[in-house]
Amino acid sequence: MPNIGPETMTDLSATSPNIGSPEIGLPSGPSLRLEREGDGYRLRASGHWTVHEVAKIAPSLGQIFESVATRETEEAYIDLSQIDRLDTAGAWLLEQATELFRSKGIAPAYAGGREEFMSLLEEVQSRTHEEQPEDKNIGAIATLLSDIGRATRGVIEDVTTFTGFLGVLTQTMLGLIVRPWRFRVIPFIHHIDHTGLRAVPIVILICLFIGAVIMQQGSIHLRPYGASPLSVNLLGVLSLREIGVLLTAIMVAGRSGSAFTAAIGSMKMREEIDAMRTLGLDPMEVLVVPRVLALMVALPILTFIGDISCLVGGAFAAKIYLNLDWITYWDRMQDIATMKHFMAGMLKTPFAAVIIGVVGCVEGMKVGGSAESLGSHVTGSVVKSIFIVIILDAVFAMFLSEIGL
Amino acid sequence: MMIDSKAELPIISVRGLIKNFGPVKVLKGLDLDVRCSEILGVVGASGCGKSVLLRCIIGLEGIQGGTVKIMGKDTSKLDKKERYALDSSWGVLFQDGALFGGLTVLQNIQVPMREHLNLPKEIADELAHLKIAMVGLAPDAANKYPSELSGGMRKRAGLARALALDPEIVFLDEPTAGLDPIGAAAFDSLIKRLQRTLGLTVFMVTHDLDSIFSVCDRVAVLADGRVARTGTPEELRTNPDHPWIESYFCGERARAATASI
Repeated sequence: MPNIGPETMTDLSATSPNIGSPEIGLPSGPSLRLEREGDGYRLRASGHWTVHEVAKIAPSLGQIFESVATRETEEAYIDLSQIDRLDTAGAWLLEQATELFRSKGIAPAYAGGREEFMSLLEEVQSRTHEEQPEDKNIGAIATLLSDIGRATRGVIEDVTTFTGFLGVLTQTMLGLIVRPWRFRVIPFIHHIDHTGLRAVPIVILICLFIGAVIMQQGSIHLRPYGASPLSVNLLGVLSLREIGVLLTAIMVAGRSGSAFTAAIGSMKMREEIDAMRTLGLDPMEVLVVPRVLALMVALPILTFIGDISCLVGGAFAAKIYLNLDWITYWDRMQDIATMKHFMAGMLKTPFAAVIIGVVGCVEGMKVGGSAESLGSHVTGSVVKSIFIVIILDAVFAMFLSEIGL
Repeated sequence: MMIDSKAELPIISVRGLIKNFGPVKVLKGLDLDVRCSEILGVVGASGCGKSVLLRCIIGLEGIQGGTVKIMGKDTSKLDKKERYALDSSWGVLFQDGALFGGLTVLQNIQVPMREHLNLPKEIADELAHLKIAMVGLAPDAANKYPSELSGGMRKRAGLARALALDPEIVFLDEPTAGLDPIGAAAFDSLIKRLQRTLGLTVFMVTHDLDSIFSVCDRVAVLADGRVARTGTPEELRTNPDHPWIESYFCGERARAATASI
């Protein structure tokens, strides 16, 4: 090989993208020059090798090695003497250049670097060869299947924990019958206040409007058949059997079920539940029983208030759309809204109360250490309890019609 | 000589800093200089305003008086663009790492890269993996979420995020709090090693006597809303000259900390 002295071979430059030109880099930024020197190569790095600049030359790094033949020479230097600034990203890029040399069977050495550059390069060198974990990319169909599997398992787990919790709750309640002095009266009253009394205004408001809307819609859509007076029957039966119960239960699930989950969940997060256990208190007895029992008292009362509000709302609408006066309306309603319909609705309330209370408490107990898990369990509690209440309602509708109620 | 005089210029210079929370005066005209490429420990009693000072310097808290100069620039007089540039020249490690819960460790480290740089994905991935290795996390931590990490690992990941842009200044808020002694010592030596290799300036709020004696070049003691004294840990220990410093640096725990060095 003829000794041609330092001759510029390849260069990378962001300002002059001409590949034939002997340099890559920016005037102030990093630049790399590959030069022949004797039998070997000298890779001259200069400028600022910082994270702000590396992206400009990293993609074209391979270009300057195109002219280098495999196992061409033994000697190669990376000249660092003209580097002004070097940080981790710059050191990583120099390390990439070293790798490219190695891929050609040439082992380069660093030369002319300041002491702090060398220690940084050493640090980066020792860290880049640690293996990186592969991203587990399993494809769309496999992801879909695994999601379905996970969701199914989640449902099965929910059913088992719910049933298990219900069992423990029943056991605890039976225990309280034997030892009634252990029942927490004050929390029980507190929860009746919060879940019952304080929910009265919102229940009245919602049921009043829905009652009026059903009456108005009924009178309009039954009019072509000359049956608009029957909308009173429609409202009477519908509100007592279904609307009053469902609206109230959904309202309470959103209001109190979520509050149960949030309260118990935040206690779980701060290890208060664990502290309770170590102090010999049974969280079931202290936290769950008063809440569930309070709901079982509050929900029927709220439902009754909701039923009445529905009918009152209907009375206003009947006055406007059917020109039915107050006394006639209630007179007719007395014939329609029988005890049978009222009981068919009321029968469901304690069951709905247990579902809302238990789901709220179970979800609270499942909260993990983070605030996100608290949020997702509060949402889950509301969604699940409303879902189960509606399923329960459908089951009861079939059951009650079979037994002729 | 040129280089020497430049090194003397403080990288952070706080003058007459006043910070009130309503009627409570927390910082009452505080003066503090942080020199280039040093590890400064800020100590003081609980509630004396150490963390508040840190938050005032990085601009998370408004101040009622005084100036904060970082690299010669008054932080209150920066326009939006200069402020943005300044944000990329420091990294902050909050007490529990303050990692974004919805992102993996790798993505957390890439947040500042995405915001401030225009890096191709492969380079950003490579650099983030490099930072993960540099702070001593196992490679498989990259794809984990913060909730799956222990407290010490979260701090390391938080440090990796703080170092993502190769900043000049790193602010650490109680980096060893809540770690076991071995984990704390490992974290101390990590800070020291990174400071040496990357030439960082470290501003560290701490309670930990072991950290102070093993890594800090200088210590600033906060008392009564001001910097009561600054000096090397050794100077403060041999010549306390202040009742709080005396009980802190010459107490039972300090003796144990210095004995182990």
